[in-house]
Amino acid sequence: MAASADLEVGAPVSGGVLVDVEIPGPGASAIVDPGSNLDGAAEFDAPRSIDPALPLVDRAFHGVARTIGLLVLVVMGSIGLFLGYQSLPTLQRYGLGFFTESQWQPENDVLGISGVLVGTFTIAIVALVIAFPLAITTAIYISEYATPKIKSLLVSMVDLMAAVPSIIWGLWGFALMQPKAAHVGHWLHTHLGFIPFFQVDTDPSAAPWAETKYYASAFVAGIAVAMMVLPMAAAVMRQVFAQAPIGEREAALALGSTKWGMIRTVVLPFGKGGIIGGTMLSMGRALGETIAVVLIISPAFDIKFRPLEIGTESVSALIAGRFGEATSAQLSALLTAGFVLFIITLVINTLAAMIVARSRSGASTD
Amino acid sequence: MTAVARPLDSDRPLIGGGSLEAREISAWFGTNKVLERVSLEMPANTVTALIGPSGCGKSTFLRILNRMHELVSSAQLNGKVLLDGHDIYDSGHRITETRKRIGMVFQKPNPFPAMSIADNVTAGLKLSGVKTSRSEREEIIERSLTRAGLWKEVQDRLKQPGAALSGGQQQRLCIARSLAVDPEVLLMDEPCSALDPTSTRRVEETIHEIREQVTVVIVTHNMQQAARVSQQCAFFLAEQGTPGGIVESGLTEQIFNNPQDPRTADYVNGRFG
Repeated sequence: MAASADLEVGAPVSGGVLVDVEIPGPGASAIVDPGSNLDGAAEFDAPRSIDPALPLVDRAFHGVARTIGLLVLVVMGSIGLFLGYQSLPTLQRYGLGFFTESQWQPENDVLGISGVLVGTFTIAIVALVIAFPLAITTAIYISEYATPKIKSLLVSMVDLMAAVPSIIWGLWGFALMQPKAAHVGHWLHTHLGFIPFFQVDTDPSAAPWAETKYYASAFVAGIAVAMMVLPMAAAVMRQVFAQAPIGEREAALALGSTKWGMIRTVVLPFGKGGIIGGTMLSMGRALGETIAVVLIISPAFDIKFRPLEIGTESVSALIAGRFGEATSAQLSALLTAGFVLFIITLVINTLAAMIVARSRSGASTD
Repeated sequence: MTAVARPLDSDRPLIGGGSLEAREISAWFGTNKVLERVSLEMPANTVTALIGPSGCGKSTFLRILNRMHELVSSAQLNGKVLLDGHDIYDSGHRITETRKRIGMVFQKPNPFPAMSIADNVTAGLKLSGVKTSRSEREEIIERSLTRAGLWKEVQDRLKQPGAALSGGQQQRLCIARSLAVDPEVLLMDEPCSALDPTSTRRVEETIHEIREQVTVVIVTHNMQQAARVSQQCAFFLAEQGTPGGIVESGLTEQIFNNPQDPRTADYVNGRFG
């Protein structure tokens, strides 16, 4: 308490300490403001104020950097405000029903995003289930096992993978992966079909099995999205793994550990924050992925947890698909769906950033 | 000493260190030769101090003794290191087993920060795949911490993270961790250079006490420390532009009181380095 009060009072006087001392002020001032009076300081022993007196260059750069930093906040805030404002009519009209209704039929005045949200998360989760093991093993291989040559090659390949446009991944998933994914889906349905999650609304053992029933599914879309989020997840994990302290690595090896033992005891615990953070950042990206999903899925608005089956819908694919022919009321509904997606990704990314910051990653170890 | 903690080398007595001998060790980093034909015997249950100015190859030599040298990708070496008569660089010897038998304590204390004090001590057992029962583990924890002179300070807080200890305590925790896998040789690379005088004394006492069970090789910049803890001493020197080597080695008393080489006399008397 005393320290903060003193700082507040002392700060403006800091430039004029000498003047204050020269005038033999009445004792009362020393009691009110001990920091500004040498006698008082000796008596009360409170922290004195220090004028940092930054050079002009530093102050100028500080100002520019702060302005640009704040600009990011302003842009983010204005997106949120704009979407929130545009959502008001829809939310007033449909209320909570907007979140529970699964169908999207503006022509019948039936609107809701529960089905779309389920589809969005299903695609994202499929993508993560595929991308996570690939990303973590890629990251471990690059940071721990690869020779310098292979390492730089793989790093640039992974970066290149991130630079492939979404539309290409969409075409890749649609034309190349879909027939193969249908076989995988059929296999999963045949052998794990007793779990509702792997069911498809068809008979898996029918003589010519209904291949197209396994097309255009959340599973196929998830594969394409996985390829898009993999580079980012792998890059975040690799960078954190590479920071694992050399001292601890050598300690483990000097105890007679295998390399894998060292990775398990030193690298992975150290990289925990990066693993979780990278995965959640991927989740944020996977939830919003649009064009590849639009290409692959065939729209279906039911709430269903059967990713192998044909038909699903995601928020971003819905917006992209309906945006062109929307009336102003429908546009508001689409913007509301976008607002919900914005909030969800914002929350997930903030959580990811908090986890990465809180983890020991990058912190010094002594 | 339980047989469980040392299952793979039952032919050697359970108490007592191993003898180590380096024969004609040369070492390179890339094309830069840092050691030239260094030979040194480190008899069982003695403390050998490696002294010499910075950059003379002491630490490189030490890291060659338990195959840590090769962790640097450009590092190469020639020569042999014999542990109880067998070359540890022979293809028949597993590197993990060698490192387990020849432990190492580093300059900067490096406990595993995510682990408790107790888990730090037993980390080596888990890492080298030694199966232990709970009671054996507790016994090993107490014995290792006692040998490292840390038991009394931490016995009430074994579940706390190892990183919460002071620097000197962390270093003794690292010594306890190395001792828990029951090595025959313990290499110490300037173990006290990051510690205050009190902690340094405790570590030196620890070295005295563990000498009965372990052969110790210690790199130090501190002449007094070398004189206090070692029975045998090797003086390394790398003259301008040439790889490092041993100028003189022998009993510590002799190196300090009656050095044969004028360069050794200059160094131990503090005239350079």
